[in-house]
Amino acid sequence: MPDKAELLLGCAPITEKSGIDRAMRVAIQRARHGKKAATFGHQQAFDAAIAKLVRAIPVDAQIAEWFVNENLIPVVRHGWKKIVRNPVVIAIATALLVIGGVVAYRVHEHLKDFPGADKARRLLTVGASNRSVLLDPLQTDAGALSDLFFMKHRLEHYDVPQEFAEFKTLGTRVFDDDEVRRVAQIWIKEKRMQFFLFPAEPDKQGKINDFSDWRFVELEGWTGAVTQRNGVCFMAAIRGGEKDLQGYLEKKKQ
Amino acid sequence: MAVTTKNLPQLYRFCFLMTGDAAKAQAAFQDTVREAATRSEGDEPPPDRLWFFRDARWRCVALGEQGIQAEPGMLEEVEISATAPRQIEQLEPAQLALWVSAAPEPQRSALALFYLDEFSLAELLSLLEMKAGELSELICSGRRQFQSWLDSTIAYYEGETFDAGQG
Repeated sequence: MPDKAELLLGCAPITEKSGIDRAMRVAIQRARHGKKAATFGHQQAFDAAIAKLVRAIPVDAQIAEWFVNENLIPVVRHGWKKIVRNPVVIAIATALLVIGGVVAYRVHEHLKDFPGADKARRLLTVGASNRSVLLDPLQTDAGALSDLFFMKHRLEHYDVPQEFAEFKTLGTRVFDDDEVRRVAQIWIKEKRMQFFLFPAEPDKQGKINDFSDWRFVELEGWTGAVTQRNGVCFMAAIRGGEKDLQGYLEKKKQ
Repeated sequence: MAVTTKNLPQLYRFCFLMTGDAAKAQAAFQDTVREAATRSEGDEPPPDRLWFFRDARWRCVALGEQGIQAEPGMLEEVEISATAPRQIEQLEPAQLALWVSAAPEPQRSALALFYLDEFSLAELLSLLEMKAGELSELICSGRRQFQSWLDSTIAYYEGETFDAGQG
């Protein structure tokens, strides 16, 4: 029974081709330099002669016309409907829509931004992570703390707006933040609300433009209503949405 | 690999070897190319190079079954001769095609595809749906049978060839 190498030699390629596997190459090399070199040589010459004869098969003129026509086998053109239905295209389109939505949301959010919005968001994270034990216990009206901040900490215009002046406090503290600088934090009994007072951020021209309306910032489930007076920002922060704060702001207007 | 019109002459030669008849080869060739064109226009994936030969093979086999067929039987086998290339030089392509087309399947397809010298071993095995050992046996016995036929058709004596009168 012939071994594997002999079987491979039986169908050895007539001419050298790329991609001949290693077993075949080894079998050919051994055959060319072994005892069966003459037999293998005869086989190769035999195969080459037949292949030459095959190449000499004339192609009928009528058939040859087919070879000239380049459009004989049309190139497949995918219609737009087929492309749209392709799952890969659907997945990419969905991903792009989601990314586009996120980008649009971020852009829209920043369009509403005011100088100091980043500082306000940073303080929302402080509010979310703090516990009341960090504060100095102090039970009074929030509006009464302006004097304390001025007298004890020399913080001028750190005033709690009228809307929130009557809220009862649990405690307060003043601390320095690397980005926000001097911050006054007040803990309120009402719905665990927190107030922050911090220096306003100048705009691109270096001017500080106060605003008396309420502007909102949101971060990780917390919302802050910010107003700016006398170069100092006041933020009322609450766990929840804008609606939860709107109630307090409208109540005061009435 | 994409199929262009450059590959088509080999496809025609394959059809000619398989059928041994120019008209049948032309019919098989044209039907295959038309089928490929239809597939390309439809929703099916574009045919590759091997598809053309696979499709043409079965068309040629079907055409071969329509006409007069060679009687099945054991052909004489002799070892390949050193003078075989010179004997083969005396042949016309049509004689070779007649001999190949008379071989039984799958030997006919194996010989036709192998001597096109177009495909790698892996491609041949894929086209013929057989193992290397089977292909080797078919090719080797084909060589010996062809040598026997050559000897009976074209004898060779010390540099001169003589038609044995059976071509």
